[in-house]
Amino acid sequence: MASFRLPNVLNEVIRAQRDQFLRPNQPKNGVGAFVFPCRKLVFNYCERSGSSKSMMEYLQRDAIEFATANPQIEVVVQPRPSKHPIVRAFYTNGEQKTKCVRRCSVSEIPEVVKSLRDHSGHKLRRWNRYVISDTPSVRGIYSPFHDKAVYSISDLKPKK
Amino acid sequence: MFSTAATVMRGSRIGAKLFVTGGSRAALSIGTAHKMAKETGNAAGRRVVAEPGATTFAALEARLNLTFGDSTLMEQVCTHKSYGQGRVAHNERLEWIGKRVLNLYVGEHLLATYPNLSPEALQDVQHASFGMSSLAEVGRHFGMQAAMRWEPVSRDAPGVGLTKVLGKAVQALVGAVYQRQGAAAARAFIAQHMLSRPVDVEAVVQITNPRVMLVALTRQKGMEFPVARILRETGRFTSSPVFIVGVFCGTKMVGMGFGSSLKMAEHRAAKDALLKHYAKEVKNISLTGNEEDVSLFSQDSPASAVPV
Repeated sequence: MASFRLPNVLNEVIRAQRDQFLRPNQPKNGVGAFVFPCRKLVFNYCERSGSSKSMMEYLQRDAIEFATANPQIEVVVQPRPSKHPIVRAFYTNGEQKTKCVRRCSVSEIPEVVKSLRDHSGHKLRRWNRYVISDTPSVRGIYSPFHDKAVYSISDLKPKK
Repeated sequence: MFSTAATVMRGSRIGAKLFVTGGSRAALSIGTAHKMAKETGNAAGRRVVAEPGATTFAALEARLNLTFGDSTLMEQVCTHKSYGQGRVAHNERLEWIGKRVLNLYVGEHLLATYPNLSPEALQDVQHASFGMSSLAEVGRHFGMQAAMRWEPVSRDAPGVGLTKVLGKAVQALVGAVYQRQGAAAARAFIAQHMLSRPVDVEAVVQITNPRVMLVALTRQKGMEFPVARILRETGRFTSSPVFIVGVFCGTKMVGMGFGSSLKMAEHRAAKDALLKHYAKEVKNISLTGNEEDVSLFSQDSPASAVPV
């Protein structure tokens, strides 16, 4: 256990070579503290185009209230001339999601914003498992149909 | 209170109507196209790194549930001294104290949680689980990567060095919490965000020759000489045998291992016994303890009752 410690620089080199397979701790959001995944929302609109009309109305009506209610999200309102209105969300894991709201009415835009805000940022993927765990059981999850102890109940014993 | 960078654009119909009051907690900014355009990406979908503004830092502060009361502190925490040739306020001094505070509270926690680890192993655990790369991972999880202000060493490889810069920024954040809000707040911050993560001790404990080490350990503890015995086996003379071997000190089993050969099974059993001893974890140590206590250790704390 008590390995010989070489001085200073050599020690660092050896340790780096030895620890190359160690991975830094994976964050488990919610264990200990919860860090809100959505970090930034950008609202792009065009001043002149008709498709941005409901977006502009939303920005005048609800945007500040939304930003005040969500201080952990950086809200950016930015004109994007001659383009359709979009809402772009940035997440702490480096992903981003964009939703074009050109066909949305004023009452539908808050729902879009809410869904973008509540997203975790991870891409949708298929989990071919019933249970996802860091410590999966070696012999599989318990099933009463495959357990011999069940047959100790007298009325289930096979008749001789 | 938070700063709201509400630079209202001239001649904009939206800008004129959106009026942000000084005391609100919103991180809302209305920006000119070219200044803010960087992070929206271009038509090809390429992501460009954006210049962080006051709203970025305000949002970061709120995301971590911190209230510094000083709008420039988070900006200082996220500024590396390579930015602006070191002429703007940077995080070097905060990082210095933050590193020491972090190492103290992490060290305390490890000392109390793993009573059988040698100091070299404790140091290795701290380095692996709470060293620069782990802290950089924490920083990325916070979303600090978008808020960092730094200059990369080489323009051809702009990402090189980011891990160290992020790690230092997280240390500076701990330092800022410590300096502004006190030791108890710093300890709670470290406990919430870093100590709650799983620590892999078994990968760090160095075991080269487990059977020899086990003999030495049992002799040191005054236990009987360890003997390996087969517990279960199957397929002995086939191409895929499985042996399950237990190591016994007298009548007590101290370790169990499997293998396709008896030698390998005994090797794993001895390793299991050593890990059960050295990586033994005390589970009822609270991360923050009493609110008033700055340290885990005091006259009556349970952590002080564990023999060191």
